[in-house]
Amino acid sequence: MAKYIEKISNALKIVKHNGGIVGTYLGLYRRDDFKWGTFVGEDKYGNKYYKNDYFFMGKSRWVEYPLSVGHDYDASQIPSEWHRWLQYIADEPPTQLPLPHRPWMADHTENFSGTSREYVPYSTTRPKVEAWVPPKK
Amino acid sequence: MATLKVFCARSNLQGLLRSAIRPVCATQQHRNHFIQVGQKEKSLEWSPIMDRAATSVFWNELFRGLGITFGMVLKEPATINYPFEKGPLSPRFRGEHALRRYPSGEERCIACKLCEAICPAQAITIEAEPRADGSRRTTRYDIDMTKCIYCGFCQEACPVDAIVEGPNFEYSTETREELLYNKEKLLSNGDKWEPEIAANLQADYLYR
Repeated sequence: MAKYIEKISNALKIVKHNGGIVGTYLGLYRRDDFKWGTFVGEDKYGNKYYKNDYFFMGKSRWVEYPLSVGHDYDASQIPSEWHRWLQYIADEPPTQLPLPHRPWMADHTENFSGTSREYVPYSTTRPKVEAWVPPKK
Repeated sequence: MATLKVFCARSNLQGLLRSAIRPVCATQQHRNHFIQVGQKEKSLEWSPIMDRAATSVFWNELFRGLGITFGMVLKEPATINYPFEKGPLSPRFRGEHALRRYPSGEERCIACKLCEAICPAQAITIEAEPRADGSRRTTRYDIDMTKCIYCGFCQEACPVDAIVEGPNFEYSTETREELLYNKEKLLSNGDKWEPEIAANLQADYLYR
């Protein structure tokens, strides 16, 4: 009996976490899953991070991508500080243990492959052999 | 005649000996303990016939199979929901390459070409020139990521921890040419991933 009471209380927690029945349905539509957990932090790109040790390692930390990216969410949108926590390399999230930041560090960008902002390789040196340009008379 | 008698007695003795030894040497096999492994014959009493008819008429097996299916729906999934959840990774993970900088912002690579020399796939190409201030720097640092075998020898060979294999593995591309990294791409990777690269090196430095 206690097993079923726990299931019902978990269902109530899921509805509370997702903000109502409609929110739960929309979350299911977006993430194919419903879970509940404690809010850990948010990065400057709008990704929200949650954890719940009720689930096994691999499911116990997760990210919810901002609605602004629509359905074009991608794992490469996670910045490096949070990537470290989300992939279980570190136990402390950057809100607890901030990583040092230098002024020359760049903002995070997602993988732009397939878009107009993709990386196109180019040579960083002058060519060793140059074509002969005929002298003008 | 006496000789014949002795000869016969000898052969009889051999026969006697053989029949005396046989029960000791060879065991006789009695095969009478059979186990039925095939399909049992169905009982033709009225009560089992009714049971079998009810099982097939009310789709008993179908509903039991559906019950197992429904139980699996309610079960906790054993898979992770990528890209919302991700699996554990080691701080030593060898992913996408990056060229690091000193905390001052000066690039680390001094163009010693040790990584180029040790690379078993010959994926690294380096050209170097003295810079305007006299320090030796690379003008070309290309890595062909389609050749790279991610062995990690380059980061082990590097005397200044300039080339590292970072923790990023989500850099798949749609075209092949996007994987021909040049120096600018590697430096910008370093600028993006430096917080995590530095923290991973810090977490692991005692074991190197």
